[in-house]
Amino acid sequence: MSHLGGSQSPVEDVLDRRIISAALLIVAFWIVLISRLFYLQVLQADRYGISAQRNSVRTYRVEADRGIIKDRNGEILVDSRPSFDVMVVADQTDELPATLRRVAVLTGENPDEVIERFGRPSGRRRFLTLPVVTDLDRSAYARVEVRLPWLTGVIPQASRVRFYPHGESAAHLLGTLGEISQKELTDRTYQGYRQGDVIGKEGIERLWDRELRGQTGGRNVVVDAHGREFETLSEVEPKPGSNVVLTLDYRLQRVAEEGLAETGKSGAVVAIDPRNGEVLVFASRPAYDPNLFARGGVDSVTWRGLRDDPKKPLHNRALQGQFPPGSVYKVVPALAGLERGIITEDFTVNCTGGYSLGRRRYRCWKKEGHGVVNVHKALVQSCDVFFYRVGDILEVDVLAHYAKALGLGSPTGIGLRDESRGLVPTRAWKERRFNQRWLEGETISLAIGQGFNLWTPIQMANAYASLANGGTRYRPHVIKRVEDPYGEIVTETEPEVLGQVEISKASLEIVKQGLWGVANEPRGTAYRLHQLPGGVQAAGKTGTAQVVGMPKDPVDEKDIPEEFMDHAWFAAYAPHDNPEIAIAVLVEHGGHGGSAAAPIAKKVFETYFAGRVPPPPVPPAQEAKLSAGN
Amino acid sequence: MPGIDRRVIQNFEWPALGLGIAIALMGVANLVSAAHDQGGVIPASALRQLAWLGAGLITLMIVLIPDYRSLERVTPALYSVGVLALIAVLFFAPIINGSQRWLVFGPASLQPSEMMKLVIVLVFARILHRRPPNSEMGLFDLLGPGLLVAAPVALVLRQPDLGTAMIIAIIAGTYVLLGRVRLQLLMWLTAIAIAGGTVAWTFYLHDYQKERVFTFLDPERDPLGTAYHAIQSQIAVGSGGLFGKGFTRGSQSQLDFLPEQQTDFVFSVLGEEWGFVGATVVLVFYLALMMRGLMIARASKDLYGAYIALGVTSIFFWSGAINVGMVVGVLPVVGVPLPFFSRGGSSLVTCLGGIGLLMNVSMRRYVF
Repeated sequence: MSHLGGSQSPVEDVLDRRIISAALLIVAFWIVLISRLFYLQVLQADRYGISAQRNSVRTYRVEADRGIIKDRNGEILVDSRPSFDVMVVADQTDELPATLRRVAVLTGENPDEVIERFGRPSGRRRFLTLPVVTDLDRSAYARVEVRLPWLTGVIPQASRVRFYPHGESAAHLLGTLGEISQKELTDRTYQGYRQGDVIGKEGIERLWDRELRGQTGGRNVVVDAHGREFETLSEVEPKPGSNVVLTLDYRLQRVAEEGLAETGKSGAVVAIDPRNGEVLVFASRPAYDPNLFARGGVDSVTWRGLRDDPKKPLHNRALQGQFPPGSVYKVVPALAGLERGIITEDFTVNCTGGYSLGRRRYRCWKKEGHGVVNVHKALVQSCDVFFYRVGDILEVDVLAHYAKALGLGSPTGIGLRDESRGLVPTRAWKERRFNQRWLEGETISLAIGQGFNLWTPIQMANAYASLANGGTRYRPHVIKRVEDPYGEIVTETEPEVLGQVEISKASLEIVKQGLWGVANEPRGTAYRLHQLPGGVQAAGKTGTAQVVGMPKDPVDEKDIPEEFMDHAWFAAYAPHDNPEIAIAVLVEHGGHGGSAAAPIAKKVFETYFAGRVPPPPVPPAQEAKLSAGN
Repeated sequence: MPGIDRRVIQNFEWPALGLGIAIALMGVANLVSAAHDQGGVIPASALRQLAWLGAGLITLMIVLIPDYRSLERVTPALYSVGVLALIAVLFFAPIINGSQRWLVFGPASLQPSEMMKLVIVLVFARILHRRPPNSEMGLFDLLGPGLLVAAPVALVLRQPDLGTAMIIAIIAGTYVLLGRVRLQLLMWLTAIAIAGGTVAWTFYLHDYQKERVFTFLDPERDPLGTAYHAIQSQIAVGSGGLFGKGFTRGSQSQLDFLPEQQTDFVFSVLGEEWGFVGATVVLVFYLALMMRGLMIARASKDLYGAYIALGVTSIFFWSGAINVGMVVGVLPVVGVPLPFFSRGGSSLVTCLGGIGLLMNVSMRRYVF
């Protein structure tokens, strides 16, 4: 050290001995550390490391059981099923292709196919136990098991695979699994996740992945050259995931899906409990089978097939589909007109089958006209001319105000990814979007639900739920509660009020009477719903939304090609006097709302109210009041 | 520039700089492997560490320019800023893994508790060299310094970050030993501390409370059952054998059996992949750096410089010894980063700042 300092340094007098002691202490501790390393890495190498006999420590990840997803009645919608698989750790095989070939021969698979499918794992995947052949029968599995001593790096494994017992049912809501992507790995949401992890990619599987997945465990075992385990060094038990209980009612879901299937068309059904925002039905057709993704992804051929299918089975129509609402919209001008004093209950329009403004004539769907129509009759029979008149008087931004109050034009906030906003046109919007002024004629077609209006099925259901419960807008939700594996509640969703529609009771009552008439008066467009179990009475509105502009002359409907056929809508709630369920049905290119969409709602209502006992007979006074609107 | 003198350049401190950079580069290379599962040729966290290495070298140069003696004047200001930053952490820092440590500035986040280590070195170097040489410290002499270190230690414990608080306290303790404390007083203090601790531990705390104290002070401690960290890291190190499994080939590390393998347990990745030979080489580099630090202290032209050099060396020693001791299972598990090796910008910048202080003292040994 002397080359550094002169001997005159004051430091040496004061600190010399201490510095030397410090040096000794440091060296001594470093000797301890290096000795300990020598003990662990050289003397104990047999136990931990690669020794002459090729004993080694093998590490297995033990995946936790993923949580179950159930409907509100305990019906299992997503579960896991056992599967007997043969796995290989590439890093531990003597020669990978030879090993794969032998496994293939033993299990009766085509060796070349197996080798090609498995590929050559690189990077971290070399150390992972990867599946070679899956879903083996018992005897093939046993054939591999007895030959294990000659199959280094091969691990037979009874694993659990995600299982969707009802196949396509509620597929868009339940979601899919897949391997975590590079992008997700760097996302804060996925802090603590690892490359190769299988995560929920869509729907509930994605939203509640952290709760569902539990905690991966693992085992460190010492194995000999033949892969025989002879000592477990350490073990961490996996912690099973939590179970998710949905608000969904599978009985209703199935009925809705069957109803959609019978139409043979695409469509969506959403049903909501108007008392709290619980989603009871969430159906979108066509769907796909999430079991295809159950092993953590799907092969590229199947994936391209789903993605490029012109029917778009991956598209979640209930959440993302945006459609013109057609006559279902008429509650908005009715409410707006009544609230702003532009119309009253007794205000009438004479429908002669059309309405003229300037040089243009707007036709009613009923050529011969409805005659003298008040707001009640206009809703019941869906008279267009009445609402043309209302639209002629009303300002477009007033319509927009009431539409927005019902939650239209913005996502409902259900919490699922990529929810569409829909569209509520205003003057300002049109100037921004097209740099054009709003034309008065546009308000007229808007008033019957045509024009720029776009609604999603979930918005529609939630808007009618708000009408049903007297104007309270709840946030629709699909999760009832999350339970840990022992049934203890982890979280429970409380109903959340998003807003209150400011409409007088009187106006709302007039409109609701109209909706009641739609389903219960003989001339109502959904009269087919008038006899529900237990004497329950529904209320609703049909809609037939034009896909293309109305032709100049009426054409025979049978001549219209399917892609130009109207979308059929039906939105309703029941029971009329004390609503428990609100529903929106959309059948793409289904034609008339009354004939294509309403029957599906009817079936859902019939299932919901099945077994309900009729209430005691209505007192005569009230009955008289009810029939007065007829 | 003031303080830059021909002799300063002639006596450029190559060994400390070279050792520091060499260890830091080995650290980044090791992180490339530890973070291998994030994908990419160089994983994002290793790239970030490389950027922090750049920031550290800039810090080093800044620390090198002024004569170290001028640091004595600004030490009170540095201390105040450090304590204020620690207070700010408690109010503004986001909670990550159950504790608040980082002040976020755009893309970078700083851990004031790391910087506090160097500040404490400056504070104690100033206190000690202002005392008459060879005078023994009594009880009252220790009171002021005790309070000065108690404030940051308490604030860091509050985050909570047991490991860093401990290192700060130990650095202060090291200075007490370096300065002269009346031997009797030292023994009394030790006896009282041990007795008080034992009494509290035995009579006033239930087992579950003790467990809570541990979990409270260090939430990352053993989330998966008793001694899980310790066992896993010994298996990883042990399975490395004499020559290791090779870069990015450690199955223990690559399978993430090691919790905190990029931070507190980063040495076990080194042990598994480079074996006894590689781990020993790295430890010898640390040893060489610390010996160089002691040589610089001994050669310093004044006591102030010597105390700075000793303090910096003690940061390297205590953090390194406690961290590696924990990884190989000779010390209990406490969250202390391995200097230069553990992922984390603030720690790396602090270490390189320390190298800058060592170089500053060394290069000005002939400048009066």
